Amino acid sequence: MTESVLRFEDVVIPGTPNPLSLEVPDHQAVLITGPEASGVDALPAIALRLRRPARGRVFLFGEPIDALSPRAVLAFRRKVGYLPAGDGLLHNLSLHENVALPLRFGSDLSEHAIQGRLQVMLALLRIADAADRRPAEATEEQRRRAALARALAFDPKLLILADPFDGLTAKTAAELFEISRGGETGEGSRRAVFMTAQFVPERLETRIEYRYRLTSGTLQPVL
Amino acid sequence: MTTPVAAFGRGVARTVAWIGALARFSFEAGRATRWFPRAGRRVAVRVLAKQVRFTALQAIPLIVILASILSFLVISQATRELGRLGATELIGRLMVVVIVRELGPLLTALVVAGRSGTAIAAELATNKVMGELNALLGMGIDPLHYLVLPRLGAAILSVFGLIICFDLVAILAGYVAAGSAGMTSARYFDIVLASLTFRDVWLTAAKGLAFGVIIGIVPAYHGLAIRGSPTEVPVASSQAVMGSILVIFVCSGLFVALLT
Repeated sequence: MTESVLRFEDVVIPGTPNPLSLEVPDHQAVLITGPEASGVDALPAIALRLRRPARGRVFLFGEPIDALSPRAVLAFRRKVGYLPAGDGLLHNLSLHENVALPLRFGSDLSEHAIQGRLQVMLALLRIADAADRRPAEATEEQRRRAALARALAFDPKLLILADPFDGLTAKTAAELFEISRGGETGEGSRRAVFMTAQFVPERLETRIEYRYRLTSGTLQPVL
Repeated sequence: MTTPVAAFGRGVARTVAWIGALARFSFEAGRATRWFPRAGRRVAVRVLAKQVRFTALQAIPLIVILASILSFLVISQATRELGRLGATELIGRLMVVVIVRELGPLLTALVVAGRSGTAIAAELATNKVMGELNALLGMGIDPLHYLVLPRLGAAILSVFGLIICFDLVAILAGYVAAGSAGMTSARYFDIVLASLTFRDVWLTAAKGLAFGVIIGIVPAYHGLAIRGSPTEVPVASSQAVMGSILVIFVCSGLFVALLT
């Protein structure tokens, strides 16, 4: 394994018995599947310190995230792309404004540069035509595409995805996964992706470098 | 025998806990202003402008109607009654103390709490239910910066602006009422302006600020305090309005008791 961008060290998910340790290597994709009761859904939030583990530590880009001040954690999270379960889009903003929000709030880019970046992201995710719609007016697939565009807005080194393909077709899931990885396949150019899901389409599984299954608090590699 | 005492004790404990939680939330909101991200200010100003449009501009017709009717009723009755006693010059003090300084800020705050307090609480509670708060935090955006502080700023500006609107309309409506009772415009404005002191102006301004803070903080606290169930949204709205009205009345009483 290469240098890890995310590391769980003896982390106990609240409500589960056993500690788990796991590394997400740079440029690699890691998937953890498991039933709802396994606590797999809590791992993305624990990785970003949106939830606290019952025990254990999480290292993000080598930094122990639980040791950072609340202000430093906010700044740190901007280095990571995050797609929460569902989509987490703000319902009083259009899809376009949702994608623009992290750029407008967390970068010093000019409005012109932000608009340029937005055009690229909306075209890449193929939602330019639906960009003016509010989430309630968009389809589930369009919402998920917008949420992914928002997560990729800063071109992060690491992407954390919670149940990203739930309700999507296998073809769309495969397309979104390729976009998540960062397009080009040259060595070192791909983005690290940490995903949790209860289920992923079969055709995707072979494209993920490290797959695990979490059951009864035990993490087991899927061969 | 102990049941009523225990119930009373529980009520007191709940109230004290509520005051403590509100104080803590206000402190956190105040502290968050110190490290507002530079880039985020532009977005926050946009949110603030949107809120001012809803909270202040759209409330102007209601404020104008309330101020006109209240002032017309009070001044027309007072002109008639005080005229019999030969004390019409007291209309000026009545207008300034009762309407401009006391009822203007109080009624304006109640209108804004009823209209916008519910909206703030319901909107923030819905944000929480829909997982938008976690999404904001996951993007490195503090919900205090994006959701709470712009609404707090907008509530302060709106209440302040609407109080000025209420008082101006009330003075004009008082003029119409006094005029219909036979008082000349010159005399009316003479006695009103002669009764208006600097103390009245700053007390009214201080109330605008205080009531604005209450309407910005109390509904935001109740909106964000829910655990995440959709059924809590209407409860949060209701608690926000009740809480805001209660704190506004207590604050108004404190102004009268301590500063007048």
